[in-house]
Amino acid sequence: MGVWIILDTKFIALLLLIASFALFYAYMRLAKGGMKIKVRTFPAVAAIPEAIGRAAEMGKPVYYSTGMGQGTLNNQGNGPQTLAGISILGYATRLCAKSGVKITYFTPIADSLPLVEETMRTAYMAEGKPDDFDPTTAINFQNEQSPYLTASLGWIQREKPASALLFGGFYYESVCIAEAGNTIGAMQIGGTANTHQLPFMIAACDYMLIMEELYAASAEISGNSDVIGSLRGEDILKFLVLISLGVGIILALVGNTSLIGLLKV
Amino acid sequence: MMLDYFFGKNIPGLSGSGNLSGQLQAWAMIIQLMAIGLGAINLLQVHFRQVSRKTNMAIYSAWFIVFFAFLLLLGLYKLATGVELYPYTWVFANVYTSLGATLYAITGFYVFSAAYRAFRARNVDAAILLIGGIFVMLANAPIGEVIWSGFPLLGNWFNNVGQIPGMRAFTVVGALGLMAYGFRALIGKERGFYSEAA
Repeated sequence: MGVWIILDTKFIALLLLIASFALFYAYMRLAKGGMKIKVRTFPAVAAIPEAIGRAAEMGKPVYYSTGMGQGTLNNQGNGPQTLAGISILGYATRLCAKSGVKITYFTPIADSLPLVEETMRTAYMAEGKPDDFDPTTAINFQNEQSPYLTASLGWIQREKPASALLFGGFYYESVCIAEAGNTIGAMQIGGTANTHQLPFMIAACDYMLIMEELYAASAEISGNSDVIGSLRGEDILKFLVLISLGVGIILALVGNTSLIGLLKV
Repeated sequence: MMLDYFFGKNIPGLSGSGNLSGQLQAWAMIIQLMAIGLGAINLLQVHFRQVSRKTNMAIYSAWFIVFFAFLLLLGLYKLATGVELYPYTWVFANVYTSLGATLYAITGFYVFSAAYRAFRARNVDAAILLIGGIFVMLANAPIGEVIWSGFPLLGNWFNNVGQIPGMRAFTVVGALGLMAYGFRALIGKERGFYSEAA
């Protein structure tokens, strides 16, 4: 059985995963130990205070959503995107609490609701305004896309928010919500790792977090040196992937497909 | 769960519905279903509040509460007797499904307006996007092939050679970002969703 495991390409995948984790951890330790790591500013993250400041000046609310995300946190592709969106929600809520702006969160993901309420409550408490938190500003739509979208479109038309923040695992609702926001002239910041929604969001939003930037945004917001260190590890990994792609292409051109076979899961 | 993914079929007793991994997945499902109950409470709270404050949306919220209670009773009746009453299926088939399909259909209009903005040739990049978009549209629309038989070929080239490698690059970096995020969450460093990042 032992030999069988070694030959299984899933074993190679596990080794690569462990090596990647080791790389992330090494850079986190180095960053914590004082290594200077410069992270470029994400324009979309830098624009969040501007979006909330705009709402404060106009006396209008902020719309926030983390998207359909397959209706649950228990989803491989969309769950982490929803969590990353909730991380940014904490930051946005704190800014809203500071400037007295109302933020309303729409989600069809029922199992994210306790986490969202806790995140928003903590943000208000951190600003010393726990009484300003209203749990009914986090509205859930029971894992259903159409009611969530209808309510979002209606709310945007009625309340005319100054800004709309869309961070998470979006599906077809992204284009509808972002276009509705555009119609009323809202400043819009989006972010998703769902490739099928990237073109729509890029077309409709003023700023975008594209793919892994969504996950990196919370690291940038946190400002923790060790968390930022993992971003350097990620960049090194990208470089290694590019090298392996180049080597794989050259080997395939000369008829050697061993690297492709080795990495196939 | 990771051990199940990598070695589930090699290690006896690890995977399967009756074993550890299956049990964990079942618990995740149970928590997810319980959260739906919490979601229902949240919805009722939101709408009761609208009614009690007599806002301009109070009439719609009252309608929601009445309809919610009506469907809940029908659902409980089905649960108790096993008999699905006609109003229950009628509402689902003729109201809910139709409205959902209508909403999905209007997405086309939103895509049109988004495409209009994206395809304005304001700079070189947007102009290239516009030219590629025209070829892809003519490749997909039947009139394209009538005008010139080469349009489908060119459109497919833009799709398969121009678009797919770019999208795959996005997918690869997205996966790397997800790995780093997952690692931070596993070791307890990613706690922004408890507002610690704020």
